[in-house]
Parts: sequence; structure tokens; C-alpha cells
Amino acid sequence: MITVALPKGRTLQATLDRFARAGLSPEEDFAATRKLIVPARGAQARFVLLKDPDVPLYVERGAADLGVCGLDHVLESGADLLVPLDLGFGACRLCLAAPRDSAVARGWRSGDSGAEKGRSLRVATKYPRLTARAFGRRGVPLDVVRLSGSVELAAVADLADAIVDLVETGRTLEENGLVVLEDLLQVSARLVVNRASYRLKLEELLPVLERVGGPA
Amino acid sequence: MRPLDSPSKDAREAPARAAPPQGTQDLLFEAARRLRRCEAALARVFEERGFAEVIPPSIEAAEVFAESAGGAADALRAVDRHGHLLALRADFTAQVARIAATRLSGISPLRLYYRGSVVRESAAGSGVPRERLQAGCELVGEAGPEADAEMLALAAASLFALGIAPGAARIAVGTVGYFSALIAAAGASHRLARALTDAIDRKDLPGLTLLCTREVPPGKARDALLMLAQPPRPQAEATALLSRAQQLAPGPAASSALQRLTGVLELAQARNLGAELEVDLGEVRGLGYYTGLVFNLYAAGAPRAVGGGGRYDTLLGRFGDPRPAVGFSLDLDALVPLARPA
Repeated sequence: MITVALPKGRTLQATLDRFARAGLSPEEDFAATRKLIVPARGAQARFVLLKDPDVPLYVERGAADLGVCGLDHVLESGADLLVPLDLGFGACRLCLAAPRDSAVARGWRSGDSGAEKGRSLRVATKYPRLTARAFGRRGVPLDVVRLSGSVELAAVADLADAIVDLVETGRTLEENGLVVLEDLLQVSARLVVNRASYRLKLEELLPVLERVGGPA
Repeated sequence: MRPLDSPSKDAREAPARAAPPQGTQDLLFEAARRLRRCEAALARVFEERGFAEVIPPSIEAAEVFAESAGGAADALRAVDRHGHLLALRADFTAQVARIAATRLSGISPLRLYYRGSVVRESAAGSGVPRERLQAGCELVGEAGPEADAEMLALAAASLFALGIAPGAARIAVGTVGYFSALIAAAGASHRLARALTDAIDRKDLPGLTLLCTREVPPGKARDALLMLAQPPRPQAEATALLSRAQQLAPGPAASSALQRLTGVLELAQARNLGAELEVDLGEVRGLGYYTGLVFNLYAAGAPRAVGGGGRYDTLLGRFGDPRPAVGFSLDLDALVPLARPA
């Protein structure tokens, strides 16, 4: 029996399509049921539906054997996982952005953090760990403002000097007068696997990995 | 529990430190009994096989742990009133190596075992405690493959002594020598070596492919590195994996590491371990002082490895008595809940 953690977000359908290649489909539609755990149709497997950032934790602690979520959540969680497959969909970038005419935006390219001298750079984000890591390399003193949504607003409303957030098309940024200063990470959906499951359930997992990662 | 918003009626009701420090625990009654029963079952197996107990102190000079996985930085350290930097025990093996190299210098072979707790910082939220209960064995002064096989067999027997069913246990076996020879052949910088180690450890084939195409010159070493993130092979298929690795070996160091591993696997098989052995040349994590064989133990029901070990032929030299050694430790926090000791 294997347990698969599915991400509730935008990549759910693409994820289900991939698992269908391996002959694993939920026997009930998640949209139509209130069940939290749904068995796979005619197979020794079951699915759990989770918010994307929770997927790495379920898999790390073995409540699920494998799962799918964006590389952003894999790295932000710091979870100790195996990441054998890049599924390719859900592509976007984790970017540093700031208001177009701000000191930060003007100074960034010339190697200046743009923050007032003697003050930390205030950065709003849903990704405090990745933000700290990106800035740690540059030696910029940092004041991370951890938010749970509407991150662009933080820069516009002067809660922060800059933001670190996912950018897909860049339209939301543009409409709010923000520009991307730097790409920090290329994100796409990853298949993650629990370390012990990878050893103990190898025979069950290998065919699934091959088909989920292979051609349609 | 009281609602969080209800005021405390009495200042004495909620002392500042009501809970033990994060990542530690109080073991009460039945939990304490279970741990002691498991330790006793392990001590029996260890002693039957000629191992004798040592009890190192719970504090050491911090530098003793410098070569342990995670280094001295992961230890909980403090400066005493003489200005010496001390650490709570962060790794039994380093302490046992110190003891073997000093007070037991020249006596070979030594078969030593220990049980107790180590304290090491762990990633927040990972479920790995800071204070970890362990038991383990070290065999000092034997350099041959027979000693490696003996320790693999003892590790398997320890799991069985705890009542883990043979079908529920797996041992992933690899060798440090192969990977480090590949790193040397690829001329990898320290930074690149770390990035490769991380990608291989996480079986991150896409990341590893990217690193290799960008930074490793084409050739045998690159092909062999890419192979290391492939899924492990059960022992039945190990021969095919090892001969493929042998074809890609970029030099004598890599070849001899593989020959040694092949020899150890044959000896282990002859001993009839009872647990499934898996060969994984990508076992490259947290190698610290390991120089040859490395292995990790897995048991059904535990979400992480429940133990591991390997050969460390240079560690005793740090304490002035260069002698080969091999050992392993068991993670009792993970094993006790699964155990049904006789």
C-alpha cells in the first residue's frame, strides 16, 4: 500500500493526469467528495489531498510515501526528502521585485541593495527561508516580513522595500508598478519521496516513478 | 488544557519552563521500561558476540567531534570556567575512537559497545529530536572485509533482537571510496563537490544532470556520477550495477573501492544476514569521517533510517593511534516504538 500526497492548488489536474499514466486514479472525484483520504481505483494505493506547502512535511514524516509539489515548497520546507523527478508543469520563477521608481530598484543593478544606509532591507515574502538564503550570499542585512498572501501589496503599501514571490507571467507585478530585479529560483512541480519508503517499498514505487516521469 | 485566552489564576500555575527544552523528552514508567528492555536486548546480542561496554562522559572537548557528520557546530557547546570549549556528547563513535586510541592503544582487535544519548541540533519541524537515544558497536584494529561483513551481520542481528521481522528490515550499502574517486577524477572544487553530494543524496537526477553538463567535463567520471542518482538495486541485481560502475571507474582508487565492496557483499551473503541488502553507490550523505563501507538501516514503520554506520580508518589517527575501525549505531527513538524485544 502506498500513500500519495496530492497538491490542492493549480497543479492538481496535471498531477492526477501523471498518476493516471501509472494506473493510479482516485476512485472518487476530490471536487465532489468531502473525504480527505480517497483510495485509488483497483490498486494498492490511496490519495490524500493537501495544501501545497504541507506536502513536503507529510512525505518527510512518512504519513505519505510520495507526493507532488513545487520546488519552492520543497526548499522552503527544509524537509529531508528525495526529489527524483522534475514533472515540468507548474513552471514559474521565484523573483525579487520592487516598485519601479524605488531606491531599491534603482540601486540594485549597480550592486547596491538600495536600502538606506544603516538600515536593513525590508523584504516581504511567503518564503522566509529561501529569502534569507538568497540574501545571505550577498551579505545584505535583512528584515524579513513573513506574509501569507497578497505579497505585492506589501511593497506598494510601503510595508516592505521589496518582495520575494512567485512570478508566472509578471502581469500582477506590472499592474502594481513593480519590476523584477532578480530571478532567484526556477520553479516547477517535483515528485518527492520519503527516504525510508524509497528503500522499503522500492518494488512498489519504481514502476510508479517510471510511468509518472515517463512519456504519456 | 486551559483555553489560551483564559488568564492564569495563580502565578505558580504556569512556571516559565513547564516543558522540557524543545526536542527533548521525559520518559515515564512504561516508556522508560520499554527503552530499558530494548537496551538490554541489544546489550545481550552485543555481548554474545564478544563486545564489551564502555561509558564515555557526557561532555567532551568540542574538538573531539570536529570530524563527525555535522561537525562540532551541531553540538551543544559551552565554555567552562577555565576557558575550555566543551560540548555535550554529539557522537559516540568519536568518543569511542578517543578511548580506543588512548587508554586502549595497541590492543587489537577491540570490540566495544555503548548505549546512551547524544545531543545534536536538528532541523526544526523535522521530528528529529535534539537528544537522541542510541546504542552501537565499534570494531577497532581490523582492516579486512571480514570485519565489515561482521558489523553488517551484527547490525542486522540487532534489529532482529528488537523483534523487527527480517522481511521488514533493509540495509542500504555503499562505499565512500567510489564517490570520492569520481570527485577527484572530475577535478571538482569544494563547492561543486558539495553540490554533487547534495544532488546525489537527494536522488535529484534533474539537478545532477544540470550540474554535470554545466560543470563536469564529459568522460567516465561524469557518466559514473550520473549513475549514482539512479534508484538502488536489490542484491540480486547488484552484480550488474557493480560491473557497470566498474566499467565507468575512472582510476585504480575507484576500482579498488568497488572490489572491496563486492568482497564485503559476498562475505555478508555467506553469513546469511536475514535482512535484504541493497547496493546503493549513492549513499553519500553526512559522511564525516567515513573512508570505506557505509550503510544505513531501514525498518518498516519508521520514516527515516533507524541506524547506520561504516568504516573509518583515519579517525583514530587524530587521537594519536592510527588504526582502522568499523562500526554502527542504532536510533532507539525510532526503533523502540517498533520493537517487540523478547
